[in-house]
Amino acid sequence: MTSTLSDEDLVEGTLEGDEYAFSELFDRYRHPVYSTAYRIIQNAEEAQDATQEIFIKLYRSLPVWSREKAKFSTWLFRLAANHAIDHWRARRRRAESQVSDDAGESAWDGYPFGEAIRSPYQEVAGREQVDEIRRCVDHLPELQKKVFILRYFDELKLDEIAELENCSLGTVKTSLFRATQSIRKALRRFRGTR
Amino acid sequence: MRRQEARHYSEEELLLEIIGEAAPESRAEISAHLDACQECRSIHQEYAALVRNLGDWVVPEPSEEAWRARKALLMEHYRQDREWIRRKGLLWYLRWGALKTWDYAIENPLPTMGYIAAAVAFASERTITVFRLDWILPATGEVFKFLRQVL
Repeated sequence: MTSTLSDEDLVEGTLEGDEYAFSELFDRYRHPVYSTAYRIIQNAEEAQDATQEIFIKLYRSLPVWSREKAKFSTWLFRLAANHAIDHWRARRRRAESQVSDDAGESAWDGYPFGEAIRSPYQEVAGREQVDEIRRCVDHLPELQKKVFILRYFDELKLDEIAELENCSLGTVKTSLFRATQSIRKALRRFRGTR
Repeated sequence: MRRQEARHYSEEELLLEIIGEAAPESRAEISAHLDACQECRSIHQEYAALVRNLGDWVVPEPSEEAWRARKALLMEHYRQDREWIRRKGLLWYLRWGALKTWDYAIENPLPTMGYIAAAVAFASERTITVFRLDWILPATGEVFKFLRQVL
């Protein structure tokens, strides 16, 4: 059964300690939050962990959310992207220290791309291209990665991202363009090698 | 000379047009330019295909059972936190307020120093006159005089 309560009602309920309201918020947003986390972290199990942590962070930071500043979903997606980036950064550090321990082994040799390749959900046309896009997104600088995911997958407008990130619209436009351009170049190289 | 004949559009402008973020007044111009310019049209098509391809990036959905387990853990966490807040009451809110103030101070050091300076100046004036601190601690008056000059 889908709740007819607005996000604002559910936020208010959550703040007052209403478990039903918080549970509804989770059901309503678990998928988009998980998708955002997955696209940044690129590992299903870790993205689920991150999703759970994001919702914990969510109810703890709800008192600072202001509806005048941003729509609830916009604010939540930014929270999700930031947390996922932190998670991804921590994992990358672990991978780098692993590499320094096992000299000669590539940092990305053990990276779990295979997981999605084996998944039946990934049996789609152009799968190799999607994998190339994933690989490229994983190597984007943090801001570019965040803007890329928030714009293309969470469908936030560029001015909303600029406001949430506290940076200029020009910076966001340039970040998105550079990210997309990197992927375009990677796809060209990829096609050239086939 | 009309704009679409004067120059090629940058890749960034073409991308913004594809995702509907170009300025409304330039959309018609870009569209007209693309009709006439093969070079820009091919770049535009390449970016448009890339943006379309992003839709193929499917996220493997966890099973309902996995979601249920996660939700149960989360709700348990929420319950414990609420209980903790209820028990701590005012103390928790004070701590939360102090942390927020600290975060603000770290992020905005200059305005914070300004607020502190204004508060010290105000407090020094009021404290001396109301509580006659200069009677209790003879040097206090000198210190505040010095502070007032500095601030």
